[in-house]
Amino acid sequence: MPALKAPSPYSSLIDLDDLSPAGITEILDRAKAFHAEPPPRDLLRDVSVVNLFFEASTRTYTSFALAEQRVGADVVALPPGSSSLGKGETIADTALTLAAMGVRVIVTRHPHSGFPARLAESFAGHVINAGDGRHAHPTQALLDLLTLETEFGKLAGLRVALVGDILHSRVARSNAIGLRAMGAEVTLVGPRTLLPDSMGGDGPRVARDLDAVLPHVDAVMLLRIQHERIASAVLPSLDDYARNYRLDARRLALLPKHAIVMHPGPYNRGVELTEDVLRYPGWRYAQQVSHGVYVRMAVLDFLVNG
Amino acid sequence: MGAILIRGGRVVDPVLGLDALRDVLLRDGLVAEVAEHIAAPAGAEVLEAAGTVVAPGFIDMHVHLREPGHNHKETIASGCAAAVVGGFTAVACMPNTEPALDSPALIAEVLRLARAAGTARVYPIGAITRARKGVELAPFWRLHDAGAVAFSDDGNTVESARVLRQAALYARDVPGVFISHCEDGTLKGDAVMHEGEQSLRLGLAGSPGLAEDVIVARDLLIAGETGKPFHIAHLSTAMSVQLMLFARAQGIAATCEVTAHHLVLDDGHVRGFRADGKVNPPLRGDDDAAALRAAVREGTIDVFATDHAPHTREEKDRLLHDAPVGFSGLETAIGAYAAAVPDLPLARFVALLSTNPARILGVPGGTLAPGSPADVTLFADRAWTVDTSRFHSQGKNTPFDGATLPRRAVATIVGGRIVMHEGRLLETAAGA
Repeated sequence: MPALKAPSPYSSLIDLDDLSPAGITEILDRAKAFHAEPPPRDLLRDVSVVNLFFEASTRTYTSFALAEQRVGADVVALPPGSSSLGKGETIADTALTLAAMGVRVIVTRHPHSGFPARLAESFAGHVINAGDGRHAHPTQALLDLLTLETEFGKLAGLRVALVGDILHSRVARSNAIGLRAMGAEVTLVGPRTLLPDSMGGDGPRVARDLDAVLPHVDAVMLLRIQHERIASAVLPSLDDYARNYRLDARRLALLPKHAIVMHPGPYNRGVELTEDVLRYPGWRYAQQVSHGVYVRMAVLDFLVNG
Repeated sequence: MGAILIRGGRVVDPVLGLDALRDVLLRDGLVAEVAEHIAAPAGAEVLEAAGTVVAPGFIDMHVHLREPGHNHKETIASGCAAAVVGGFTAVACMPNTEPALDSPALIAEVLRLARAAGTARVYPIGAITRARKGVELAPFWRLHDAGAVAFSDDGNTVESARVLRQAALYARDVPGVFISHCEDGTLKGDAVMHEGEQSLRLGLAGSPGLAEDVIVARDLLIAGETGKPFHIAHLSTAMSVQLMLFARAQGIAATCEVTAHHLVLDDGHVRGFRADGKVNPPLRGDDDAAALRAAVREGTIDVFATDHAPHTREEKDRLLHDAPVGFSGLETAIGAYAAAVPDLPLARFVALLSTNPARILGVPGGTLAPGSPADVTLFADRAWTVDTSRFHSQGKNTPFDGATLPRRAVATIVGGRIVMHEGRLLETAAGA
């Protein structure tokens, strides 16, 4: 029977379960070192990297582009819609074509789950998943891990709540995998239409009552709520969601003093959080974004140079 | 037409209540005699059958032959070749062609192409609604007159309960069951697999078992209220089995089938994000598969049917959301069913593949009683490894590729002609 991921002789980062805990630690340590002191700009000299984004992205795209420059890679960006994949070329043909041109790394984002995994099957190089459908966003999870580790000096034993649209969130999926691999305790919180009971499986805890969870966490990770969830009858209204799950002044007061609040962005003011959160001393959004560049430099270095 | 003597095989015939070593004599396209020892008549071809099971011809009541309209996936000729290589003497073909089989002329054209192919018998299934759109009724009587043996909108579940009820009432006295593909489109949405831990883990849109259950319940109730016999296609959930039992307890005229893939595979096959196992209804959880196997053993399931649904390699290599549903099944069926329920008595195995589909479709066959059509399937418990490159179907795709299966067809005889022997299509099969 097929293995969880198609076997590839080349190392790719499709989701965090491609990495061992030691691998995650190594990447985080490298990212911290790059943060402390910029590395020489020739770590990836003569390495061709293609950014193959099929979905609009500002933060992740810019973050990867900066990371690629800072390690000295040769970068080609294919704007969305320019790939001949849309003209009937198969995934395997795209992989062959890019490999034949000497491309060593493909950074890819795709609206459908599975594209990076399928690309990695055929590509004689490294594929880095920059977000696919609802499936995975491993570099986002790594930068979140780095933010938590920087804050608390450890990951093991941390209590982290992920709140909101877990079902449709690749960020939540990758974070749940990474956090649990590093020994953190994960609680998923949200309404049943955004967080099915079976989502936890034998893994994370599933909770419905955010107010009861907040006093017992070290970090809260909020997720973006999409307006389209109302039209698709997943949520009745943003107000109704806010009643139970929006982080506001009252709920911030339920958190332990040391707790931090994170968000992968872009956040909706007034929906999953109020302005109070942006003024909260433990709001770490800017650190997350900043860590993103170092984590992506570290991933490129780790995959290409070992 | 000459005579064929099938000598020394283990004849299994649920209708005759026979499971014993017998000789079978075929003459003039009919079964002439079944007896312990039959002397070969002068000029008769002798087929030595020692070590094989000799059964009434297998009938696959759920295949997609793709012609007209999708000949790049399969043709009636290639599909019929796959059928006889897989041990099937007859297939019933679904109307999801282009155009759909909703007119007498199209039914006649399918029958003409099948005769030209000269291998398996083909029984066309007519549409329930025009163009399978679920709005206007298909001309049931005229489809019947042209040769349609049953009616179905196939993969398009008739969405409107009113339309389906009207269709069942109007067609109440037209020979031919209604075959229901049960999936509620509103619950299914844009799903590419079963909704469960696997879909949640992979971040893929899933269709819950409930999508099948609610339509099975609805269609069984419509069958009960209208009196039109219904046949539920490819059961995939444990609840559907319970609903079948309920319907029977109510005296509702309803039968059902199960595919081999729903018996042995589960949603783990979507791992790797490949579409090889993408099918409607989707491969469910292992609890559902176990319940279906139990239902086969307990006799709740009437028919083994393949839902043979060939596509090109390129189509099945696409990303999951873009790839079509289904895969080839005719050439793996006998082996896959034996793998799924290895302890099933042979008489039941033959009933599910021959006697019951013949009865439900109202077509000849299903027994080797003298006077029956000389349609015979010979099979044996010989392990073999599936290699899709050797398929006669144009669809070279199945999640069983590379699997070792415990049983295979040895010879297929249609109308007194040996059309397949030891995996080879016989030349006489073509253009007869």
